[in-house]
Amino acid sequence: MSGEIFNPAETASFAPETRPERASRRRPSSGQTIRLGSLAALVLVFVYFAYAAPGFTALGNLTNIVEQSAVLALLAFGMTAVIVGGGGDVIRGGIDLSLGANLGLCTAVYAVSSAAGYSDSVSVLLTFGAGIAVGALNGLAVVALGILPLLTTLAVMNICAGLELVLTQNTVISSSSPLLAWISSAAWLGLSITSWTFILTAALMLVLVHRTPWGLRLQAVGGHQQAARAAGLRLSLYLVATYMGAGLLAGLASILQAARLSGSSPGSGDILLSVVLTSLMSVVFSRRLAPSIGGTILSVLFIGGLINGFQLLNVSSYWVNGVQGVLILGIVSLRSLSRRPGSV
Amino acid sequence: MSMSVGTPGRERLLLATLVRWVTPAVLILLLLAFAIASPTFRTPGNLVHILVNNFTLPAIVALGMTLVISAGGIDLSVGTSADIAAMIAVTLMASRHGLGLSLGAGLAGAIGVGMVVSLLVAGLGISPFLATLGVLFVGESVQQLATNGGTPIYLVSNFPAAGLTALAHGTVLGVPVPLWIVLAAALLVQLLLRHTAFGRHVRASGAAPEVARYSGLPVKRTIAAVYVLSALLCGVSGLLLAATVKSYVPLSGNAFLLDAIGAAFVGTTISPEAKPNVPGTLLGVFLFGMLHNGLLLIGWNFYWQQVAVGLLVFTVLAASFAARRLQSAD
Repeated sequence: MSGEIFNPAETASFAPETRPERASRRRPSSGQTIRLGSLAALVLVFVYFAYAAPGFTALGNLTNIVEQSAVLALLAFGMTAVIVGGGGDVIRGGIDLSLGANLGLCTAVYAVSSAAGYSDSVSVLLTFGAGIAVGALNGLAVVALGILPLLTTLAVMNICAGLELVLTQNTVISSSSPLLAWISSAAWLGLSITSWTFILTAALMLVLVHRTPWGLRLQAVGGHQQAARAAGLRLSLYLVATYMGAGLLAGLASILQAARLSGSSPGSGDILLSVVLTSLMSVVFSRRLAPSIGGTILSVLFIGGLINGFQLLNVSSYWVNGVQGVLILGIVSLRSLSRRPGSV
Repeated sequence: MSMSVGTPGRERLLLATLVRWVTPAVLILLLLAFAIASPTFRTPGNLVHILVNNFTLPAIVALGMTLVISAGGIDLSVGTSADIAAMIAVTLMASRHGLGLSLGAGLAGAIGVGMVVSLLVAGLGISPFLATLGVLFVGESVQQLATNGGTPIYLVSNFPAAGLTALAHGTVLGVPVPLWIVLAAALLVQLLLRHTAFGRHVRASGAAPEVARYSGLPVKRTIAAVYVLSALLCGVSGLLLAATVKSYVPLSGNAFLLDAIGAAFVGTTISPEAKPNVPGTLLGVFLFGMLHNGLLLIGWNFYWQQVAVGLLVFTVLAASFAARRLQSAD
C-alpha cells in the first residue's frame, strides 16, 4: 500500500485477477474528485494572490512566473518521463536523482567552454553532449546492468556534482556570449526566449507522451513491465530513451540557467528536491492519478505562482518551502481520504 | 530468484559467493592501497579517527534507513529529524536548561517528526517518497523561520559543556562513547529485524505488502513504528552532532541523507537475498567514511573525492547487480 504512489505494477502480480479490474472501476470517480480538489486549491491560491498581492495579475507578472519557472519545468518534464516509463514503485520505480547535478554540470560545461573562447555552437554541442551522456550512463546502468534507478542516479549524481566542482573549482564562472545575450534580450509576442522554450517544450512533451503511439507504449512499459514485455515491447529502448531525454532537457535547461545567471555558479544541484516534488505532484492533477506532463505543467505553475505571490506580498522566503510542503501533503491526503476504506 | 529451476551448478554457486564478496573485497583492497600510499593512514589513531569522525553519525542514520527500506519504504526526512532534535536541545541548553531535559526534549522532537511521517505514510497512505519529501520541505521552513534564515546557535557558556563533552568525546573502557551508541543502535536494529515478530512483519511488509495484509499482519502499525524508530535514531545522531560541534547549524542533517541511502543499498550486496541488513549497512558506511579519509590523506583534491566516491559506488553496484543478473539468467 505505501509501497507505491499510483500504479500497482508490483503488487498486481500477487492478485492479478482481482486488482486491475477493481482499480479501473474505482479510479475514475475518485480520480475526478482529487483532480477537481487540486485544481480548486490551485485556483484558490491564485485568486487569493490576485486579490491580496498588488500586481499579481498584471500581464508582465504572469509572464514573469512562466519565465522564472522554466528551468524547473524542463527538469520536471524529464523527471516525469522517467517516472512514467519506470513505474511508480518507491524502490524499484523510475526516478532520476542526477537531474539537479546534471543541470549544474551542463551549466559548468557551457560556461567553461565559452570562457575558453569556443563559439556558441561548439559550446552548446558540448553542453547537450554532456547532458545526453549522463542520461545514457543512467539508462545503460538501469537497463544493461539492472541497477535500481534510485541507486544508479544517486551514484551518477555524485559523479556529476564532483565533475562540476572539478570544472569550476567551486567558483562562479561568468560568461557572456551572443547566445546568452540573445536569450536574455530577445522577445516575441511579449514573451522571452526562456518562456518560449518552456511553452514549446511543454507542448512537445505533451504530444510525445500523451498523444503518440510511442508515448502510449511508454505508459504501458511503466504501468506493467511484464505485460508490456509480453506484448512484445522492447522495454530497454523506452527506458534508455527517457533517461537520455531527461539528460537532454537538463542540457537545454542549463543554457537558460546560464543566461539567467550570466554563467555558472555553484549550488544548482539544490533544485533536485523541487523537481522530484513537482513531478510527483503531477499525479494529483491528472485524471488517472498517474504522473503526466499536463499535471507537471500545472504543478510547475502552482509552485511558480506561489513563490511569486509570496515575493509580491513581501512574505519571507523562509515560508515558501513550508507552505509548498503543507499544500502538497494536503492535496495528496485528499487522495487517500477519498479512497474507500479497505481498498489499497 | 530462479534458483529452483534446474540444478544449481557449481559455477552458479561460485558466482553467488563472488557477488557477496564484491563489497568486502573492494573495502579490503582500498584499505591496503591507502595503507601503502599514506603512512598516516595506517596509524591506529587514524582508524579511530575514521570511526569517530566519518562513521558514527551517518551509521546511526543509516541503521534507521535499513529498517525503513526493509519495510519497503524510504525516508528522505532523516535530516529533518536530526536537525529538529539538535535545534530543540541546543536552544534549551543555550537558555541554561539541564542536559537531561534538553536531550530528552530533542529526542521527543525527533519522535514528533517521525509520528508526522507515520501518520502520512501509514495513516493516509501517501507514498513514502512524497510524504517524507513534504516533511523535509516543511522542516526546512521551520528551521529557517526559527533561526532567522539559518543562523547557527552556538553554546558559548560552558554550563552544560562537561556532560556534553563527555557524550561526544568521552570514552568508556577505552572506546569512544559515540561508538558505544552505534553498537547499541546496531544491536537494537539487528535484534528487532532478525529476532522478533516485529522484524518478521517489517520484512513481510517490505517483500509483499498485499500478502502480508491478507495474512492478517498489522502492516500499517508496523510501517508506522518503523518511521518513528528511524526518526528516533536520526534524533540521536543529530544530538551527537550538536554535542561534537557544540552548536546547532540549521539544515546540516541533510548531509546524512544520501550516504545513508547509499550505504543501506551497498549493504544489500552482501546478503544472499539482496535485502538490507545491519552488517552490510555498517560496512557501507565504513566504506564511505574510509574513502573520504583515505583520499584526503593521499592528497586528492576535495573535488575529485566526490567523483571518486560516485564512481566507486557505481562500480560496486554495477558489479553486484550485473553478477546477480547473470546468476538468475540461465
